[in-house]
Amino acid sequence: MNRLLTLVALIAVLSASLLAHHGRGATYDMKKRVTLKGTVSRVEWRNPHVLIYMDVKDADGKVVTWGFENSGVSTLAQEGYNRNTLKVGQPITAIVNPAANGAPTAIVVKIVLADGSEIMSRDNGENPAN
Amino acid sequence: MRRLTPMIVVLLLAAVVQAQDEKSKYKARYDAQASNKKVDPHDLSGIWQLTKNDHSLGTPAPPLTAAGQAAKAGRMPDAGGANGNAPWYACNPMGFPRLVNDDEPMEFIMTPNRILQLFQSEHRIRMLWTDGRPVPSGENLENLGPAWYGHSVAKWNGNTLVVNTVGLDDRAWLDNVGNPKSFHARIEEQWRRVDYNTLELQMTLYDPEYYTAPYVGSKKIYKRTPDEAMTYFGWNGLFAGITESICAPMNEVDGYNKFRDLGRSKPTDR
Repeated sequence: MNRLLTLVALIAVLSASLLAHHGRGATYDMKKRVTLKGTVSRVEWRNPHVLIYMDVKDADGKVVTWGFENSGVSTLAQEGYNRNTLKVGQPITAIVNPAANGAPTAIVVKIVLADGSEIMSRDNGENPAN
Repeated sequence: MRRLTPMIVVLLLAAVVQAQDEKSKYKARYDAQASNKKVDPHDLSGIWQLTKNDHSLGTPAPPLTAAGQAAKAGRMPDAGGANGNAPWYACNPMGFPRLVNDDEPMEFIMTPNRILQLFQSEHRIRMLWTDGRPVPSGENLENLGPAWYGHSVAKWNGNTLVVNTVGLDDRAWLDNVGNPKSFHARIEEQWRRVDYNTLELQMTLYDPEYYTAPYVGSKKIYKRTPDEAMTYFGWNGLFAGITESICAPMNEVDGYNKFRDLGRSKPTDR
């Protein structure tokens, strides 16, 4: 138990880094989750927060480009992700908390790849985009 | 609480179980290096990170003087998840001592005449002079003028590194709540390497212009980042342990904040 708590504390310290100074106040509806299915259209692998854009077809077949924010470069790299983890054109499903005002912007909850594996999951503490 | 404990354990496990192999590996090595390595208490080398996310001196500030209250007027700390108006949100330097109290890693580099601190935040370097020069005062200090990180002189007192910093720029906030510090303030840091993995810092602000008493900070604990994290690609693809967490207006203002503004009902609500 002690070892587990120590491990948890260590992980919390390691993952607390990068840009805890950005409040997310009033931007996203943290109670709402949206599932986006589409393809990666752009990855902005830079600080302060990595932004991933994806093209999503809406109900009418019109393509809407969504963008969602993630943690910073150092934190994601420590979790084993890099600039080429997601490639342009790759099909993904993103679970996100959307913008409160209805814009196609969001903050990540997790990304599900075509094979069903989940990556960059804020749920699992790998992507503390605060 | 007893009933809650298993649930908490399950939740914690669920939170960490994925993709933690690397860190579990570090943990084992971290424990191993703690028991195996001897420490020279005058060697602070290593990458260190605060164990508590607290961007202040860690204690309540003493009452401010009238001049101190005037200097603090208009400063709005973060509140209710919304950002305040701290200068660093517009990519201005955090300044000393706010940067030292940041939660991102910091590396100590020992050299013969200076001890250097390299901060991941701002990718900033701080020089603590150990060549015997005096702390600037009087006319010298007035001639030097203010600097975001001041002018720092360090010396060993037994196994405690005592650092004195003067000449701070009063535009930089002391902490995350917007407490002030005057150009004539002096901040004394006492650093002590407790063991291989642990550094202690205690900080005191002497600023009679703005405070009615010395502001004595709490004892802060830093833990050493495991050696593996400092090798090439140690952090799963980072080139070195300390990376560049630079607040660049091109990224921050034109990029990231603009992105966030898209989702805000009021663009100024940061």
